[in-house]
Amino acid sequence: MDPKLDLLYRLADDQLILGHRNSEWNGLGPILEEDIAFSSMAQDKLGHSLQLYGLLHELGEAEPDTVAFTRNAPQFHCCQLVELPIGEYDFSLTRHFLFDHAELLRFQALADSSYEPLAQVARKLRGELKYHALHANTWMKRLGTATDEAIERMQAALNFTLPYALGIFEKTDAEAEIISSGLFIGEDELQSRWLESITKVLGQTALTLPDLATATPVFGGRHGQHTEHLQPLLDEMAEVFRLDPTADW
Amino acid sequence: MIHSLDPRMNRLGLPETAPAAAKPALDQFETYEVFHQKKEGAPFVYVGSVHAPEADLAFLFAKEQYSRRFACTGMWVVPTSAITVTEYAGDTESAYDTLPLLPRSAAPAPVDESVEQEEAYAAGEEDYDIFHLKKRGKAHQHVGKVRAASPAEALQVAKAVFGEQRPVVNVWAVRSADVLHSEDDDRDIWATTTDKKYRDAIAYKVQDRIEKFKAENPQA
Repeated sequence: MDPKLDLLYRLADDQLILGHRNSEWNGLGPILEEDIAFSSMAQDKLGHSLQLYGLLHELGEAEPDTVAFTRNAPQFHCCQLVELPIGEYDFSLTRHFLFDHAELLRFQALADSSYEPLAQVARKLRGELKYHALHANTWMKRLGTATDEAIERMQAALNFTLPYALGIFEKTDAEAEIISSGLFIGEDELQSRWLESITKVLGQTALTLPDLATATPVFGGRHGQHTEHLQPLLDEMAEVFRLDPTADW
Repeated sequence: MIHSLDPRMNRLGLPETAPAAAKPALDQFETYEVFHQKKEGAPFVYVGSVHAPEADLAFLFAKEQYSRRFACTGMWVVPTSAITVTEYAGDTESAYDTLPLLPRSAAPAPVDESVEQEEAYAAGEEDYDIFHLKKRGKAHQHVGKVRAASPAEALQVAKAVFGEQRPVVNVWAVRSADVLHSEDDDRDIWATTTDKKYRDAIAYKVQDRIEKFKAENPQA
């Protein structure tokens, strides 16, 4: 695949799927204020995906709605982390923390991309991504230093989620060209920045980052291999759209 | 199990009748009061409250509750318990007139930015932020700072500085140290709304379709 398309599909699909997943907390969040904040960030992610699908459309791909609502799971390029069900709030917060740190650093780097339309989008999203990371950090620090139960649950969530989070950085065949053409710094460099960034926050808590040497990254998502959770999500997300794909919204 | 049209509810597997767990009275977080600034240089104005376990989380919540759909360039949050409130005065009066009168000799002087300031702080004085409510139904607005050794004294100093203003229906005094301010480094977090019409209900123009639907379905 063309390196630009390859990169954009991964970025856009991550945003769409996690945005949809996180929106499932709407109305069910732990307290009203947090429910609103979490739903609001989910909506931000859907907005980000729209921007990125818009870039793909400019490059000759189908309309954003068509791309978002008519593909099946094997055609998605998101990492498996974003498609997992919302589970309990400890898991959803931990995923938010691990994903959004990578997201913030990724778009900070993309602000210098040689592909100017993408660099522009990245600069536009900066403020929102900063807030998302601030939100995640504040909760991690709060719960990671709270009661024994809170620390135990957040640690268990961290242990479970980390191998999936490493899957964010799965490379594709286009990786070498993506780096050499200045599109993006590459997944290895991003992962090392991410590790430094999350380590700094976890260092202010009673939580321990599991040993990365013994964690097996959950790969496959970038190549269309997904968990059994993605297809039902897509069916549910596109349920109304598919009733009449030609309807004018 | 509860069966709902919302698949998310079904996934929760909730029993038909929820166990009525007894909750302790007032089992909720503390409240924080939120002030926002609409544009650079404008005074901070009260917008509402949030529940939160601590100031940092109150700030996170306040950002989404109160700046998501409005222009905002800065935000302050204050624990509700840290606000000292005067009596309410009539619509043409001043709440400062409800404060206990001090003997003329004890009346405090306005803050002056002199060398005495350091001594004043050393002697236990602190900065207080003062907010006025000009009219019932409007919002409290920041009018300035005073230096004092207690909230009661802060109100007396504020009376000396701002007391001529009319009307002032109500006054709030807050120790400045109790105010959590948004940081200048984070200014970019406010720049999120202008080109996001999808966040506003008004962006969804559906009235013509509703009219059309009604015309085609008179029985509906």
